[in-house]
Amino acid sequence: MDEKAIIKELPAIRKLVYGNLMETYLPFPIDLKASSRWAVEADVPRDTDSIIFTSHMYQMGSMFKNYEKYIPLFTKLGGSRMIASVGSRLIRTDKSEVERSNRILKNIYSMLLKSGINCGYLYEDEPYSGSLLLELGFIDEFMEYGRKLLSLFRSRGVKNIYTVDPHTTNSLTNLKKMIGFDIKFAPYLNAISGTNGSGKFVLHDSCLYSRFLGMYNDVRLAAKNAGIELLENPDVTGKSTSFCCGGPIGPINAEMSSKVASLRVKQLNTVSDSILVVCPLCYENLSEFGNVKDIAEVMA
Amino acid sequence: MNWTDVVDLVIKGNNREVEHVLKNYPYIPAIAEDLRKKKLQVLEDLPKYIQETMKNVEKLGGHAYLARDAEEARRIIGKIVGTKKTVVFSKSNVAYEIGLREFLQETGNDAWETDLGEYLVQLQNGWPAHIVAPAIDLTREDAATLVSRIDKNITKDSKIEDIVAAVRKFLMDKYLKADVGITGANAVAADSGSIALVENEGNIRIDSVLPQTHIAVTGIDKIVPTLPDALNEIYVQSAYAGLFPPTYINITSGPSSTGDIELKRVSPATGPKDFHLVLIDNGRLNASRDENIKEALLCIKCGRCYLACPVYRAIGKEWISTKSPYGGPTGVMWNYITNNDPWPASFCMHSGGCSEVCPMKIDIPTVIREIKSRGNRSLV
Repeated sequence: MDEKAIIKELPAIRKLVYGNLMETYLPFPIDLKASSRWAVEADVPRDTDSIIFTSHMYQMGSMFKNYEKYIPLFTKLGGSRMIASVGSRLIRTDKSEVERSNRILKNIYSMLLKSGINCGYLYEDEPYSGSLLLELGFIDEFMEYGRKLLSLFRSRGVKNIYTVDPHTTNSLTNLKKMIGFDIKFAPYLNAISGTNGSGKFVLHDSCLYSRFLGMYNDVRLAAKNAGIELLENPDVTGKSTSFCCGGPIGPINAEMSSKVASLRVKQLNTVSDSILVVCPLCYENLSEFGNVKDIAEVMA
Repeated sequence: MNWTDVVDLVIKGNNREVEHVLKNYPYIPAIAEDLRKKKLQVLEDLPKYIQETMKNVEKLGGHAYLARDAEEARRIIGKIVGTKKTVVFSKSNVAYEIGLREFLQETGNDAWETDLGEYLVQLQNGWPAHIVAPAIDLTREDAATLVSRIDKNITKDSKIEDIVAAVRKFLMDKYLKADVGITGANAVAADSGSIALVENEGNIRIDSVLPQTHIAVTGIDKIVPTLPDALNEIYVQSAYAGLFPPTYINITSGPSSTGDIELKRVSPATGPKDFHLVLIDNGRLNASRDENIKEALLCIKCGRCYLACPVYRAIGKEWISTKSPYGGPTGVMWNYITNNDPWPASFCMHSGGCSEVCPMKIDIPTVIREIKSRGNRSLV
């Protein structure tokens, strides 16, 4: 294990991510217009007390992986924001990826509407949850950013949050414990009803949903209620036997991240060639090695 | 077979075995729950239990020592062993932690591991790949190549049975010559001063009975309040390692003794005339006072968390076990406690399988996150 590289990289990652977050509410420079295009297209209202909080996760999914490739360069250059902004020009999301994330988010919004939940969106003011800080172990920075995040939501009169991914849900759960984040939140999968879906898949559980947030059965129920058939194998999809997509280690060691992803896909493929995920980062990591769909692509 | 194929097979096998054990011995989870409470009780006042343990070992006619760190432990044991002795070791992670075998070899002793897996690791001059199955990363061919160094009849094509027989023959000679047997302890009972050891091969039984001096070296975290608690730790450890019922359970309470003449208990009898218990602190006492790390001390070293971890699955012992006998998720915690090294925590993917399978219900991901965070805070 190359600890020297980690010790060198971590301060640069902290400087880059934390610096950006405290200044712009975003970990990396991203195109906010593009990130909120789905909401424009779906005509999502502004200034509501209930919001859908994407945390830019679907929109940035592929960018996360791209930024990971540049981390050694940022490290060499000390993680300065100037370089990060150059990165924003270098790192662009593929057009088809943008369209895919737009489709998914519009569908999630539509499923919430169909379930009788009216919510708005913060558009260009939408922040990122800070999950990267939490997951990399920058706890002090995560809490400090969390206070800033809470202030922003309060200033916008937000009273209910619907999250769309496990990382954001986990961040808010931790902020509740750590800083008393007191705005109600719920993952959309637990809020929707009356959905329709199809297909036969092996589910790759999100580690956070299944083993940290107590949603192992909830996700299965959401799929089952929509008519999606999930193929199970206790050695592959059990609560204690399934494992990570490798995504969280990406910023530290991209090679190991890929290795874990390929192992996981190999294991999932012993059950089915069609893999279902409930997290945009799992999609990014696993889709390089197999046929993967997000649950919001196969139900409506 | 490469590492990931080997470990995949081991994981599947272990899951089935543990499932089978828990189905057939349904009292195990309740014992584990009780054991957690008892171990927490000890951690609330570790110095008191250390004192009680040492007092009771002395009462039995044994000798008890508390070593603050690895250096002190080596010095104490080095003095007991002396030089030019034949020393047989049973598998002890604490002995690895303090570099004991190498130290005794350097001070002129003939020291040998007697657990088969650990013996192969010794021949390899490496580190254990797993806490219960140290040579998990070696194939039959690897084992044959290593054993061919001590038995010329062993070739790359030798059968597993022949490899095992060659090791048995080699070790039998060492057992018969051994002056000192060094074991670990799976648990130490404070109320009696007894140590409990679990095994399947029979080597611990020989190591702890045949040589005239028995030294048990273990961490202060292994102390439990009573002898029944010590036995419970054995049951839980072996059940969650997927090896239940264990072939042998050994309880040692001081040196050998007899009460056959006028019911007067005298010592020694047939077995060892000296028994020494060396308790090691090496960071454990501080950890017991650290609310965010303390839970790690509940670990009973069943090694299940290794098999539920994607990092271990991907890189095995390269993660931590090239500098510490403790690997996998528990190794992240234990490497921090004993080596003050936070960096392996950076590789944790918070997959969460470790805490799902932990019989002691240790919130391993939260402890690891704390260690990660402490490492990060130390960076400029």
